[in-house]
Amino acid sequence: MVILLMIALTLYLGGAFYSIYTFATKSNRAVGPARKLALIIGLGFVAHSAAMAMAWREAGYFPVVNPKEVSAFIGWAIAGYYLAMSRRYHTRALPAFILPLVYLFTLVSMLMPEPVDAMPRGLESAISASPLTQIIFPFHVTLVIASYAAFAVTCVCGVMYLIQERELKAKRFGAGFERLPALNTCDEIGYRSVTIGFVLLTLGIVTGIFWNNQRDGRYWHNDPKEVMALITWIVYLFPIHYRLTAGWRGRRAAWMSIAGFAVVIMTWLGARALGGYHVFG
Amino acid sequence: MGIVLIGTSHKTAPVEVRERLAFAESRLADALRELVDREMINEGLIVSTCNRVELIAATPNGAGQPDGAVSRLNDFLIRFHQCDQSLLQKHCYYLAGQAAIKHVFRVTSSLDSMVVGEPQITGQIKEAFQRAQEAAVVGHELTRLMNRAFAVAKRVRNETGIGSSAVSISFVAVELARKVFEELKGSAVMLLGAGEMAELAAKHLLNYGANRLLIVNRTFENAVALASELKGEPVPFEEFEKRLPEAEILICSTGAPSYLIHPGHVRGALERRRNRPMLLIDISVPRNIDPAIGRLDNAFLFDVDDLESIAEANRAERKREALRAEEIIEAETEQFIRALDEGDLNAVIGAFRQHISEMAFSEFERSRKRLGDLSEDQEQALRVMINAIVNKFTHPVIKQLRDSEDGHSPYISAWRDLYHRDPHD
Repeated sequence: MVILLMIALTLYLGGAFYSIYTFATKSNRAVGPARKLALIIGLGFVAHSAAMAMAWREAGYFPVVNPKEVSAFIGWAIAGYYLAMSRRYHTRALPAFILPLVYLFTLVSMLMPEPVDAMPRGLESAISASPLTQIIFPFHVTLVIASYAAFAVTCVCGVMYLIQERELKAKRFGAGFERLPALNTCDEIGYRSVTIGFVLLTLGIVTGIFWNNQRDGRYWHNDPKEVMALITWIVYLFPIHYRLTAGWRGRRAAWMSIAGFAVVIMTWLGARALGGYHVFG
Repeated sequence: MGIVLIGTSHKTAPVEVRERLAFAESRLADALRELVDREMINEGLIVSTCNRVELIAATPNGAGQPDGAVSRLNDFLIRFHQCDQSLLQKHCYYLAGQAAIKHVFRVTSSLDSMVVGEPQITGQIKEAFQRAQEAAVVGHELTRLMNRAFAVAKRVRNETGIGSSAVSISFVAVELARKVFEELKGSAVMLLGAGEMAELAAKHLLNYGANRLLIVNRTFENAVALASELKGEPVPFEEFEKRLPEAEILICSTGAPSYLIHPGHVRGALERRRNRPMLLIDISVPRNIDPAIGRLDNAFLFDVDDLESIAEANRAERKREALRAEEIIEAETEQFIRALDEGDLNAVIGAFRQHISEMAFSEFERSRKRLGDLSEDQEQALRVMINAIVNKFTHPVIKQLRDSEDGHSPYISAWRDLYHRDPHD
């Protein structure tokens, strides 16, 4: 299993370097390297998936229960999201921004020490509360973390948009001008990702509420994590709502996507610091 | 065989001389047939564009020094165009061997062009090559050279940024549009006023996929006339504000002395476009679009100075990229020459081996009858023995040839004279 993870990590690193190399040396349009890159990351993704499947069998429960596992799972989810997207968008810039994230999340996970209790105490009883909660658990985790991956991509698109927009407005074209995708493309990928992320997060919250109810009959506990998740949900509701009603797009949408991702990070890490029962993940 | 070349270009001759030496399309086939006499000139190719005339030729094997072939090209030009030797002497360059090959690679890769990196020249040379093929005056050598030249041009284009950025104002407009919209397909261009540069920019945008062209002019008749020429739609001046939201790109070029387009216009248009971005290009001097519009979100405004400075920056970039391209050409030329020598050597060695082997086996066949009945094994053993003798005999010669690998040693020319067969013979 560790070997499979090492293989995945090496391929992610290779993919990250390759994407940065093509991004730095050649201009934005070209399909050939994009295919090669998708192959490299695809192989890494397969190895990573196999490692997770093995861990699942070994542990007997969905093995995304502590920060070490969550970090690797975020890397896995972003890689998967990149693969799904690379079929449609052959931009060199996007992978150069995203793939280092894939590598970093996976690397951080591998560097983290093995926790003393692999399964946090509160969580075990929460999962095994009823047969239904055992089924809900993997869905809840996957949906929420996949939404984080989509939001990460949205954030990257926002950053690319702002760089490109700034160069166009300043009429001074630096290194990014040739290499970054067009404004409309950044905007489009960003909007797609935020929509996908929003749907996933909504479903993630719904499964969480359902789980709560199964566990102790209460839907909501005002736990810090729950509150933060709700804030995240509202933060992303705004740009989607105003894009549909008032045509918010471009710079404003880009800033919103960056702000939104900051809230995501806070939800993920900050809620731990605030305590509450929902401290795993 | 060898490659020889005579040419004149914008660098060596003024237009009066170039047009004097140009080959009209209608006479090209005759010229090619006259050029290739199969004695000194075995294959030929004529490139004739407004910026250059190049005669590229391959000499037959054993034709001796390339000087003879070069002067044959020279004489052909004088005869065909009935001009003086002094004219050619003054304005033409004469190249042979490696220098000629390198020149062909450079020209095809657009490094010798007036606007370095402009893509037309590669197409023009491809067409010239096709003409020569139709006239049946190119064979193995020129085909090999030209195919390599086209591959080199492609490599230069892919590996350097020599042709990637726009160096004229009208193309900069296209480049900017692609940076905002990625694809121009489905977009509309509005042209306000007229003017050569603005029309050219509009044409380029249409070529790159823009679907619609709206033409606005104070004088509606002018709009109608221009619309029919550019296949656009004339729009009366009064409707300008109403139709503005339809346009992704606005090109403005009028003689008006002050701002025609104010922030209010564009703000309204953006609102109706639900903030889908707009590119505004102001080619007029004095400017017609209020620069304050450039500060609006989702509106991207460029005036003529902006376009010119982008074009200038791109030109400087091209110059840097041209240096990288020269390195590629240098390496490719070396490699081509080496492959040529190697191929040459292999052909000589192959012919030599085959000759000795044929001789040995024909002697064997002659004596075969007198040997009487032989079992299959015995016959096989004899053949193996003959092969071994041929190998032993030819080995030192082949080794000697391979060791003098530079391809120009007296050994090789001696053996080449004995054994090299021209593929056309």
